[in-house]
Amino acid sequence: MSPRQFKLNETVDFIVVGSGAAGGVMARELARSGFTVLVLEQGPRLYPADFEHDEFKYSFLAGITNDPKNSPQTFRAGPDAPAERLITNNPMAYANPLVYARLVGGSSTHFTANYWRFHEIDFNERSVLGGIAGTGFDDWPISYAELEPYYTKVEWEVGVSGLAEASPFDPPRSKPYPMPPLPVKSSGVLMERGARKLGLHPFPAPMAINSQAYRGRPACVSCGFCIAFGCEVMAKSSSLFNMIPEAEATGRCEVRPESYVFRVETNERGRATGVRYFDRDKREHFQKARAVVLSANGAETPRLLLNSESARFPQGLANSSGVVGKYLMFNQQTATHAVFERELNEYKSVQVTRVIHDFYDSDPRRGFYGGGGLDARMGRQPLGWALQSSGDLPKWGPEYKARLEAFPRSMVCAGHATSLPLETNSVSIEPGLADAWGIPAMRVTYNDHPDDLAIGRFLRDRASEIMDAAGAQKIWSEEVAPRNNSVHLLGTCRMGKDPSRSVIDQFHRAHDVRNLFLCDGSSFVTSGRGQPTMTIQALAFRAAEHIARFARRDEI
Amino acid sequence: MTETDDGRRRFLLASGSALAGAWVVSSWPAIAAAHEHAARAAQTPGPQAFGFLTSAEAADVDAMAAHILPSGDTPGAREAHVVYFIDRVLATCFSDRAPVFRAGLAQFQVGFHLACPAARSFAAASSADQLAFLHAVEATPFFAAVRQLTVMGTLAASQYGGNFGGAGWKLIGFEDQHVFTAPFGHYDRDYAGFVPYTKEPKR
Repeated sequence: MSPRQFKLNETVDFIVVGSGAAGGVMARELARSGFTVLVLEQGPRLYPADFEHDEFKYSFLAGITNDPKNSPQTFRAGPDAPAERLITNNPMAYANPLVYARLVGGSSTHFTANYWRFHEIDFNERSVLGGIAGTGFDDWPISYAELEPYYTKVEWEVGVSGLAEASPFDPPRSKPYPMPPLPVKSSGVLMERGARKLGLHPFPAPMAINSQAYRGRPACVSCGFCIAFGCEVMAKSSSLFNMIPEAEATGRCEVRPESYVFRVETNERGRATGVRYFDRDKREHFQKARAVVLSANGAETPRLLLNSESARFPQGLANSSGVVGKYLMFNQQTATHAVFERELNEYKSVQVTRVIHDFYDSDPRRGFYGGGGLDARMGRQPLGWALQSSGDLPKWGPEYKARLEAFPRSMVCAGHATSLPLETNSVSIEPGLADAWGIPAMRVTYNDHPDDLAIGRFLRDRASEIMDAAGAQKIWSEEVAPRNNSVHLLGTCRMGKDPSRSVIDQFHRAHDVRNLFLCDGSSFVTSGRGQPTMTIQALAFRAAEHIARFARRDEI
Repeated sequence: MTETDDGRRRFLLASGSALAGAWVVSSWPAIAAAHEHAARAAQTPGPQAFGFLTSAEAADVDAMAAHILPSGDTPGAREAHVVYFIDRVLATCFSDRAPVFRAGLAQFQVGFHLACPAARSFAAASSADQLAFLHAVEATPFFAAVRQLTVMGTLAASQYGGNFGGAGWKLIGFEDQHVFTAPFGHYDRDYAGFVPYTKEPKR
């Protein structure tokens, strides 16, 4: 429990909705700037001893993620397609298309911790390449140079391991990493071997995981359960272990778990006055604030705005542009599996140790827009690995059993790439479906742009070449096809200078509501090439500085 | 106490000093109790009582699972006690879909009776008849569900009733430990270190 507790009739300076990658940074920075901050988090507060190596629970029973049983979502592949509940990787249960961790620390608790910076091109790509018809492809209102100091701040204050300037494609940086890279794994060695033969430039992966004791947290013990799991030793640089306790240590911040915000209230002047939320017993409360910051993630931030409609804001709060919820982006992803002669034991240690950025930039000679990174990684935890059944892989019987026995000799070369912002890809409200609290549920509409699929196929083919050059005995790729689910939730309240085409300005202030700020994956204008959390946190550090400045000048 | 338990206990005790925090000490009794309970449950030898399946249903599901992951030199579905896992999840976390599963199983049994009227049940039929019928129905949603549950029951942690004695993890070569040190595999054993690039690549 936080040492500082606010009363329900108190007016706090800031309410921050969400305690994840962005919410944690917001809370700490605003509290350190002298403001009172109440963080409302819908999930529970867990501690390292609560986390388990239980793949069945975490991957199939919504152990720490939003649960389709009480927080259902629907999916449709286009605005004219019927919306339905999804069954994806498990015929025994419904799945949600948009998945995030629902606990204090948010998705920074269960992320893989890939922490490369975006490159300069990610912020001004439309100016460089020109527009793309039928899309919302656009420049960001900020540049890489403006964000660089905050990337450095993330690396040093959140804690990132890596090797500066190891990649010839890296953008400029003002400081090296605070910790050396984590030990290379066999997948990294093999990818490096294959890629160097082909003239490519693999480099040690930047990871938000301690390679040595750092800022009061221990070094990684290489247990291997990072992706989709909470860290049992606090070596992963999750908000739960750094930003949240540091915010509380100011004595000005309360983190209130199991507090599900379902509505932002506004007054007759169009200002936010506070939020309505349910406590753990589903009792409704109203908490007043001078200003509200939504860092609820790229799925829940737009849903909250759309569910906060009123006579003054009939299309939903901060939505005079009609853009709230639109331009949802997932990041294209590919997986190329390879089996080698000897054991790799990829289930040990962090998921990724080598990355390639040779294909990062879009190249018009390829005939389509898009670029991305490749990495060497553990393919899946045992269950996920055994259940993936692409192509002509045997699915049962003695041959299937033989495939399972290749587990320790297997790895994945994964692709992470651009997704174009399309107005028709969106988070909206599902008419007639409510969650377990009676709040209108989320409807997800998504269909990949043909160029998103093209960059996926391109990276998949490069991955196969690299695995072949590395000496793999068997190589196969998962199908590159339109997606219906993601954990990268981007672009749904995009940032921009034009209030008729964007939701927030370059300082994360809602164009329509002076004391409402939005900062999380929803702020993205373009998708980057994957691994968005580093940039979400850099944006949050930058935004918090501006928001504190506005608050000091009474401009909220 | 299982190897898993012992590993976790050693890990927790060893990491206490590194963390210099109170959480290990304060949570230890609860963790130990939970794991000892799980270990006892996992080690209870069959036959256990079924919570959802009838014994006839369980026999057919068990026979299917034994073809999906056959026994042999290495453990299969039977050694992993998959049928107990399937029964337990249908009674608990997957109870929403349990009626659909039961309807699928009934249809499977009727289909098998039509295909092999002489056999008393799928479980009692010859292995050749079982296999031929499974090949005929392998594209059905019911087969997909049993396949999914068989794999889950083999590889999910043993507190869910399957993966008996870590049989599934032995099959795939996964070590359930909380601390590993480099080198992790064959290929990182002799890695000479990262060699920086000297020339700017062409973009």
